[in-house]
Amino acid sequence: MSLPTGIRSYNYAQDMAVFRTRAHWVWLGVLLALLFTGPLYWGGELLSVANLIGITIIAATGLNILTGYCGQLSIGHAGFIAVGAYAAAIITKRFELPFLVGLIGAGGVAGLVGVVFGIPSLRVKGFYLAISTIAAQFIIIWVINHWTGITGGFNGMSVPPVQIGRLTLVTQASQFYLIMIIVITVVFLAKNLSRTRAGRAFVAIRDNDLAAQVMGISLFRYKLLAFFIGCFLAGIAGSLFAHWTGFLNAENFTMMDSILYVGIIIIGGLGTTIGPIFGVLVIRWLQWFIMKISPVIEALFPNLPAGFTAGIGPMVFGIAIILFLIFMPRGLAHRWSLLRASYRLWPF
Amino acid sequence: MAELSQFAITGITVGMVYALIALGFVLIWKSSGVANLALGQLVLVFSWFTYGMLVQVGFPVWVGIPLVILFALGVGWLVERLTLRPLIGQPILALITVTLGVAFFIEGLVSLVWPKSVAALPRLFPEEPIHIGAAVVSQEYLWAAVISVILFVLLTLFFKYHRMGIIMRAVADDQMAVQACGIPVAKVFSRSWMFACVLAAVGGILMSSIGGITFGLVGTGLRAFSVVILGGLDSFLGAIVAGPIIGLAENLGGGYLTPLTWPGVREIIPFVIIVIVMFIRPHGLFGERRIERI
Repeated sequence: MSLPTGIRSYNYAQDMAVFRTRAHWVWLGVLLALLFTGPLYWGGELLSVANLIGITIIAATGLNILTGYCGQLSIGHAGFIAVGAYAAAIITKRFELPFLVGLIGAGGVAGLVGVVFGIPSLRVKGFYLAISTIAAQFIIIWVINHWTGITGGFNGMSVPPVQIGRLTLVTQASQFYLIMIIVITVVFLAKNLSRTRAGRAFVAIRDNDLAAQVMGISLFRYKLLAFFIGCFLAGIAGSLFAHWTGFLNAENFTMMDSILYVGIIIIGGLGTTIGPIFGVLVIRWLQWFIMKISPVIEALFPNLPAGFTAGIGPMVFGIAIILFLIFMPRGLAHRWSLLRASYRLWPF
Repeated sequence: MAELSQFAITGITVGMVYALIALGFVLIWKSSGVANLALGQLVLVFSWFTYGMLVQVGFPVWVGIPLVILFALGVGWLVERLTLRPLIGQPILALITVTLGVAFFIEGLVSLVWPKSVAALPRLFPEEPIHIGAAVVSQEYLWAAVISVILFVLLTLFFKYHRMGIIMRAVADDQMAVQACGIPVAKVFSRSWMFACVLAAVGGILMSSIGGITFGLVGTGLRAFSVVILGGLDSFLGAIVAGPIIGLAENLGGGYLTPLTWPGVREIIPFVIIVIVMFIRPHGLFGERRIERI
């Protein structure tokens, strides 16, 4: 186990604990303190990047449960996020229901849509499933673009800010707290999910679905459950995204975004709780960095082609995905656990 | 009636181009078991490269098109050598996602080198439309169909009689046995990628001579997925049959369903077909139904 020498468990509660040693608790406290005092000294721009990172972590955690734990590749995650975003927008704007109803409703609707498109996973896998989720992505976006009466179609749709009781969360800082609380809850639940009966069933299905079925794991139940949970979290992320941007357009949820999510969990490390967080941090900061640096480069080298700013980002991500798959297939999470192990064993 | 035959002819001819692109997919899938999800982006980049050669550099067609084919061969070789070769033996998830990485890279490359989102190729085929019965069809469609058929025939002959073609079929049948016979399997992988890229390039040129170069060409590549799903992943015949079916469904559906549903129903039909096939007959019309063992 990944515990320092001399730490023993004397009961099951200790054995199961996520935070085991005093050092764990101290680190957790420091991290949380840094996180929640962040808005005091971060500027608005940093905060908005942090908010986007939080939302993306929720979505990536969902995809990680589906792809990383259960092994069902989905290239339609942005589509499911879009379902959640529009569901939340419609619930809070057209029906004028409270934010929390919109949040849970968005998750539920996205989860159900995910289950519908996950049904083929009972008979097919690998590439077939990838294609049917691509089909899901296109069908969802097409419906959003054409169901003008409900979604606003190509013109998009404005979304009211989050309203909890009498509180209206307009500023980045106030949304930061909301998003981070949900992120922490989701990550905590995801960590525990991986250790429950369902989580172990997911891993068994990922490793060999036939063997899992022979052992008595109901593929029907657990594959669809994985789709539901994965897309539920996508819906939650979509809801937060809708309120965060304030304006929805199907342009925000392209197939390239879906691929980006797959890239995120690969870079972070499939099938680990910490992986999606690393992946999102790397990708979103990289995006932000490229956005900042490319005008500077363009100013320095005026002969660059005109599409430099638009093109360099996808190129870098494409290369990152390829390099990670070839050289670090277990992602940053593995690197992180190696680092922790060597820290524990230091100076040996 | 004129309308019907109009839709049918355009549908079938465009469908043949889809089939052509899909053949490239099937080739890679059969020989190396890799699903090439970068197909749409490959079609896009080859079309833009054709534009670059014919319009930006200004080569005549007989110089430009062979250069595009050479470029396609090079791209196919590079993709296989740099991304797929190091991953031989890795789980299928890695093999699929690495092509997604390639797709991402190519899309970035295209918007870097050709930031214009729309362009038109110079006319490759004569301009005046042809009357077939009551239908009026522009010549691009017919030429696309003719070129596709020629390539189908050439490929069929290649697989039947050429040494490399026979080796490719053997690899598709049993990789281990072929390797045991002393045939370099990795070389076959790289050849099949090169072939697939050439097919994508030809398909891209034909499609963009019909509809111009737009990001919609990525969608053309994606339609090829619905062709392979409908026809069966591991069947050349399936791709050739399913291509016109998809084209036909797309055009007839687009023509007759639009008044009944939302406009633009045409672009979604191939994806709906994918979902329907997945539910009813996931191995497709001609695909092999695999029985799995633990």
